[in-house]
Amino acid sequence: LVMAAGGTGGGKTYSFKVVLLGEGCVGKTSLVLRYCENKFNDKHITTLQASFLTKKLNITGKRVNLAIWDTAGQERFHALGPIYYRDSNGAILVYDITDEDSFQKVKNWVKELRKMLGNDICLSIVGNKIDLDKDRHVSVEEAESYAESVGAKHYHTSAKLNKGIEELFLDLCKRMMETAQAEERLKGNGVSQSASNRRGVQIVDDEPLATPAGGCCSSG
Amino acid sequence: TCKHFSLQEAYCEYLRIIHFLSYALLEEATSQSKNCVFQTNLFCARVISLITVSPSDTSVVSSPKSSSPTKKHRRVLSDGGGPSSSFIPPEVFQQLQTLKLQDSGKKELTPIEEASRLNQKLKANYEARLARLTPGQAYQKTSLTLSLQRQMMENLVIAKARQDALQRKMEDRRLRLQEEANRRFAASGAMTAEEQEQRILYTNVLEYEQDHDWPKLWKAKIKMNPDNMNLMSELVSCLFSHSDHPVVKLLRKLQYCIYNELYPIVSTSVQSPGVEFRPSLSSQNLQEQGPIHFTVLSLSFCVLCISDQLLSLCLLSFECLNTATSKDLCLASIEEAFFTPLWSAVMALFRKVNREREQAFVASVRLYRDASPADFGVPLKLFPPEGRSPQGSYPYQSAVQELKLVIKDCCPQRKLDCIVRTLRLICACAEDYRCLHEAESAPKTAAIGADDLLPILSFVALRSQCPQLVSECAALEEFIHEGYLIGEEGYCLTSMQSALSYVETLHTGTSHLGT
Repeated sequence: LVMAAGGTGGGKTYSFKVVLLGEGCVGKTSLVLRYCENKFNDKHITTLQASFLTKKLNITGKRVNLAIWDTAGQERFHALGPIYYRDSNGAILVYDITDEDSFQKVKNWVKELRKMLGNDICLSIVGNKIDLDKDRHVSVEEAESYAESVGAKHYHTSAKLNKGIEELFLDLCKRMMETAQAEERLKGNGVSQSASNRRGVQIVDDEPLATPAGGCCSSG
Repeated sequence: TCKHFSLQEAYCEYLRIIHFLSYALLEEATSQSKNCVFQTNLFCARVISLITVSPSDTSVVSSPKSSSPTKKHRRVLSDGGGPSSSFIPPEVFQQLQTLKLQDSGKKELTPIEEASRLNQKLKANYEARLARLTPGQAYQKTSLTLSLQRQMMENLVIAKARQDALQRKMEDRRLRLQEEANRRFAASGAMTAEEQEQRILYTNVLEYEQDHDWPKLWKAKIKMNPDNMNLMSELVSCLFSHSDHPVVKLLRKLQYCIYNELYPIVSTSVQSPGVEFRPSLSSQNLQEQGPIHFTVLSLSFCVLCISDQLLSLCLLSFECLNTATSKDLCLASIEEAFFTPLWSAVMALFRKVNREREQAFVASVRLYRDASPADFGVPLKLFPPEGRSPQGSYPYQSAVQELKLVIKDCCPQRKLDCIVRTLRLICACAEDYRCLHEAESAPKTAAIGADDLLPILSFVALRSQCPQLVSECAALEEFIHEGYLIGEEGYCLTSMQSALSYVETLHTGTSHLGT
């Protein structure tokens, strides 16, 4: 009964699906694990461990449920990518700054994602292992200008030193919320959508008895 | 999250796909005349009209409209290949379902039934007395006979009068309840077919509640504890256990409609995969497959409509169920009750559609049945060192055994749970194996990501040697509500499908094992 009614997103929870792409050995798994370890101890990690993780966030007063889907980086599983990233709201594309080849793979994924999902998906390109900067093989300028050219954001992270990870996820969430809100406004203005809302965000009206989540994050 | 969907959106999507498919089929049909295209078009037309236009009658299935498609099917059957014995004809299916219905619900006798039962007893008494008469008492026989006849006649006349009165009373009551239903759905101009249908269903619910006390008792109980979720879930299972309740009756009726449509398709001979193997779709095959894909599409749309309709009837019966969580409970019960008797027919359809894929799976199993996890690219630390497996077992055996159980269940949600358990078992095994290798090192977060999970899952899928999994997963994807697929279940199903597709490609040699 305390729920604010009427305002956009007042009593709503956003559910976002984020898919994690990157060649084997670029450190995708360590990245997500780091992100979760910061907030929780190990027992909170779901029994699927590092492959599928969920996280509840509270961003500018709005609740967000994040589902992070890890994918296999090996070449032989690439053909199966589309069934993982369909209906995704965001993608995190990880490369290893010491491995130029892994950056090339990121470019291929970007092409594929844009082709299959259009501009609605929020892309984050992540140069991991910045602790190994002396062995860098992908220049910062090249990576950042590439990201800009494809409408993605670029981040520098180190799973080992726990650098840049929190910002990466927080920023991605904010962008996904903006996209979702823009979509809502479009709907509200009566502009009909060409395709069904299959891919879109799932916005769930709260039940009257649900109480607003207290603190920032808790694992599901 | 609530799994509730927008039916309108789903319907538009469905129409878009139909539009696309019928265009493609038209192209195909203009080159060669195809009867079967028309046949499957009829499928959705018939079922949709059954669900959306004429749902008025919830008294189960004896309506004449259900008998006509059956006749048509017989003709189809005699035209096509002979019927196989593995599926019971729709009439038998219906009888079986109705039989279960009568078993569980005690039925009250009508006055006439009661009278004829009484008369039978009288007659038995009379015969016993006749038998005891000595030859000298033969004159009594006539008077006994006359008295029996009089008594029997009287009983019947009284019963008839009672029955008529009862019927008039019931008709009055029905009218009164109809008015009540009309008041509840305040009329605004002309009624749509949907509104009309809703009124009739609601009248049925009211009528049921006049005859049975348990709905009233439950409503009172929930009013006292409105937040008790356990109570809600008990109510839902109670509702579905009363087979004479309008919800369950409607469910049985719709179930029969679907079976009736599936029967002619699935009862024609199904070739089991592995008998012959053709690596690519021939053009002739594509033509056979076109219409059957169409059927899958119609089926999944019908299932969507059906669960929506049943859900709204649940909510009409018990307003207290109108919360996101309770709706989920209802949908789960609907799904279980609806699919359990139908699953083998549904599976036969999906196995026909996915025959080529199952055959590819079988071919890979033949080639790689003795492969080790290492051959799938699983790192050495994630399976037992040589010779450390217990006698006669192989790595990840418990996960393989769990996975095999998927085909045993008949309910989509429980199958999905089984897949989730399989993946969890894989993670647990992986952790155990890693500990074997690093006995003394402190247990770090031994978490396996998708880079390790997929190769292991592919190994497990192949070791299950169960091609039907391909069709099972395809069916699950079709029938599990989208809202579920964003979560852990969705991730597990997606990974399972990836692993299966990978196994299917193995035999072609284009994708290498390992590396």
